[in-house]
Amino acid sequence: MIEIHNLTKRFDQIKAVDEVSVTIREKTVFGLIGTNGAGKSTVLRMIAGVIKPDEGTVAVDNMPVFDNVEAKKRMFFIADEPYFFANANAGTMERYFSGIYEAFDREEFYRYLEKFSLDKNRKIGTFSKGMKKQLALLLGICAHTKYILCDETFDGLDPVMRQGIKSIFAKEMEERGLTPVIASHNLRELEDICDHVGLLHKGGVLLSKDLEDMKCNIQKVQCVFATVDDEIKALNGLEVLKKEQRGSLSTITVRSGREEVEARLATVDTVFYEVLPLSLEEIFISETEVVGYDIKKLILG
Amino acid sequence: MTSKNSFWASCRENHKRRIWVWIVAVLSQLLVYGGMTIVYLSRIKSFYEDGVYRTAQAFREAMYQAARDAIGFSDNVFPVTIILGAIIGIQGFSYLYDRRKVDLYHSVPVTKGRRFAVVYVNGLMIWLLSNLLGLFVGMIIAGTQGAVNTAVIADAGLAFLWNLFLFLVSYHVMILSVMLTGNRFVTIGAYLVFGLFEICTNALHNAMSGAYYDTYITTFVDSDPKFSPYYDCTAYIWRLKSLQEVGEKARLALPIMGKWVLIAAAFLALAWIAYRKRASEAAGKAIAFPWLKPFVKIAVTIPGALVIGLVVYDSSNGNQTLMALGIIVGVILLCAALEVIYAFDIRCIVKHLPSSGIAVFGALAIFCTFKWDLTGYDSYIPAQNKVESIAISLDCYYDNYWDENRNYISSDEYIKKHMFLNDLEPVLALAEMGRQTASEDMKESRSLYVLYRLKSGREKARRIAVDYHDPKAAAYLNEIFRTDEFKRGIYQVMTDENYCDGVTKITYSNGPARITVSPKEAETLRAAWIKDMEQFDFTLARDGMPCGEITLEYADYSQRQWYVYETFAETIACLDRNEAFYPAKLNAEDVDYITVTNYHNELTQEDMEIGIEARETAQAYDVDYTVKETFTDPAQIEDILSAIHCTYLVSPWGNYDGTENGYSVEVVFKKDSAYPYDRNAYYFNYEFIKGQVPEFVVEATEYKGNTE
Repeated sequence: MIEIHNLTKRFDQIKAVDEVSVTIREKTVFGLIGTNGAGKSTVLRMIAGVIKPDEGTVAVDNMPVFDNVEAKKRMFFIADEPYFFANANAGTMERYFSGIYEAFDREEFYRYLEKFSLDKNRKIGTFSKGMKKQLALLLGICAHTKYILCDETFDGLDPVMRQGIKSIFAKEMEERGLTPVIASHNLRELEDICDHVGLLHKGGVLLSKDLEDMKCNIQKVQCVFATVDDEIKALNGLEVLKKEQRGSLSTITVRSGREEVEARLATVDTVFYEVLPLSLEEIFISETEVVGYDIKKLILG
Repeated sequence: MTSKNSFWASCRENHKRRIWVWIVAVLSQLLVYGGMTIVYLSRIKSFYEDGVYRTAQAFREAMYQAARDAIGFSDNVFPVTIILGAIIGIQGFSYLYDRRKVDLYHSVPVTKGRRFAVVYVNGLMIWLLSNLLGLFVGMIIAGTQGAVNTAVIADAGLAFLWNLFLFLVSYHVMILSVMLTGNRFVTIGAYLVFGLFEICTNALHNAMSGAYYDTYITTFVDSDPKFSPYYDCTAYIWRLKSLQEVGEKARLALPIMGKWVLIAAAFLALAWIAYRKRASEAAGKAIAFPWLKPFVKIAVTIPGALVIGLVVYDSSNGNQTLMALGIIVGVILLCAALEVIYAFDIRCIVKHLPSSGIAVFGALAIFCTFKWDLTGYDSYIPAQNKVESIAISLDCYYDNYWDENRNYISSDEYIKKHMFLNDLEPVLALAEMGRQTASEDMKESRSLYVLYRLKSGREKARRIAVDYHDPKAAAYLNEIFRTDEFKRGIYQVMTDENYCDGVTKITYSNGPARITVSPKEAETLRAAWIKDMEQFDFTLARDGMPCGEITLEYADYSQRQWYVYETFAETIACLDRNEAFYPAKLNAEDVDYITVTNYHNELTQEDMEIGIEARETAQAYDVDYTVKETFTDPAQIEDILSAIHCTYLVSPWGNYDGTENGYSVEVVFKKDSAYPYDRNAYYFNYEFIKGQVPEFVVEATEYKGNTE
């Protein structure tokens, strides 16, 4: 488990990260969402032990991480622009990392290289941006660390590759309890991969929740009530986050469990009703609007 | 088998990323050792073929020396060592400049200490192995040419240590520079500041002191940089090259190397602390520690601005207002430049004005301190009860000195070591008289260089302006000159019991005649001369003209002179016994003719004054007033001989007022004369004694206008 407590970091006069507290549980995919400059990379670099927080603590499995080899052995950090040695090829990088990470699986690495059609003898300098990110991910996966920290790593990957990496993540999570932490500015990129999401804005955490919890606790209902009294009776006691009316069709977002909502609607007279699944985007819109932010401006653009 | 995670495995991995540095290091070391060995030995062989060396032994010695010059203490190797130290240092730790590299290296499970050690040891290995390879190749080349003996090997070994410690200094200075900065360009600037700061500020201090303090001297006190290995290199390498004995070299080099080790250790410690404290996010920034910025700014801009001020001062013929203006403008420009460098942003040109203000204030304060002598430098005279002893030297007397190993040393060094005047009063009285001298007059006056050895252990040196013709000053100088401490402090012959060892030839000369005396007479002559020197005082030094000189020649072809005055009865008697004494005055019957040249300086001087006033100098200077006249009449020759003194015996104490400087006299001997004049010289230069130019000479050499 990675525990981040009141993490603060300033660069000159700018507060890049402001009292961030987040807990990253094992065997979950943690998504760190935020706009450019929200502090995602800084948080990840502090988790990786690259930079030292001004205030607050980062503990990886109860170990402080900064300049702590034991803690770092459990992590592999893939920066937003991963560095590869000059004139290096995949083999060069494998030899470097296998010298550092004791559990590095060389056979698996070369197997993955083949699977992803990356030439082990080709100079990395001639790789495309997406290929470099694939290579960095494969190196990270094969390092067999407990945590893999990916900074905008999925940005630039084509859907097929993304799917491939996600499959590997799923396999590694299942087999050895890998915990990926993925930072991205793109909410849609994380929608189908994350179990838990932390939303950063201006260096602070707007929210941090399990996606399932969020999905289970927010329902969107499309409904035509027989009478206005039915509507009032149905919604009475429910936390209505949003309500839109088009003619007699009401679209209502409520914070409640699906069963409870369905039970409520069953007690009143409705012409039609349907409980619809929410996209991650819609959940975020709803959640952030509650705390006074317009998520569209922050992330969705 | 080496573990994948072992220190040496990490080193090997690190080496893979330093291939080009290896190539540069190996090639440069092969060039300076192997290449230069070939060049030096080939040159000696070429000389041998041209017949420069008469014996095989001389040739062999030259080959050994050439090998020592190439692979021992070499002025080719030390610049390469310094540059390699800088290159290896900056390349090893330059990953700290790049955020992407920092992200990689600082996220992997390797401690900061381990990474530092790996990079550091690798850098050291690059230099060590490449240097040893170059040395080995040079040695092999020299060996195949028969130019290696134990002295060459010992010399190379000592020089290896010298270069190793020099490398460490340069290497550590560069590592610290990298740690304090986040960009190559700024790092190189920091390296130059660390390496040259003391040399530059020291030179600046000397230049300012020389420009503003009338009593400032570099005599006696060591005004050289104390902590700059780069200065040490340039200052000592020639001396180390010239010493033949390895033991002597070691005695000179080891203390310097010891100092370098301490300096290198200090820089490494600072570099380590900076490395530990340095934030990863400093990558790409100008200065890694923001709190250092104002200090760097002030430390760099003040001396920089003072240099600009001095340049303005020199180019404006000493205009002090312009100099002050130059300093202010210099500080402002340098502060602006530094702010731009700090932020890599031209818009930051006027940021952080308070530190710029401090820099302006500091530079002007230093300028004012010198300009108005706020520290009282020129008026300094120590209280008598605070002075342990004094050493003095005069601006007019020079002699050759050597140390206990018979290596030449400067007169200042010798006097400082051997002169301990205990009678302080006359010196302090002269200092007090000098203090009253106006600044304008001081530039024209004669000088006494004084070293005050204070009871506190400190030493202060000052120049005292002295008027040699002031009776009061002359009286004080006589008091000083008559002391044993003064004489023993200035004449090595009086104290050095081995002075006459190795004398191969003694000659006495009155100018034209040069008579050889047996070297066996050296000690007798020495004793007689020392006895005669009891009568030596300032008046004799100022007014007396030696009638001759005794020259001692040594096995190493070096020479020493003792001046003989007509009152030196013991010495003259000793020379007489050896049939070597000839009086200064020549016999008229030996002289064929005398040519007198009158330069008419008085007319030239008048022209200059007129020219300066009338601004017609070009025309005035073209006039040649020289009049030359030859005298063959025996009576006239006799009169002239009575009024002249041999030019090179005029005054060893630099009192040139004793002769007429508007005339020169050439005495030509009869070819059949028995007088033992130097037949190769044919004629000899003399000068008229002040006020004794015969009337007939004046008339005969009168300027009568341009006859052309």
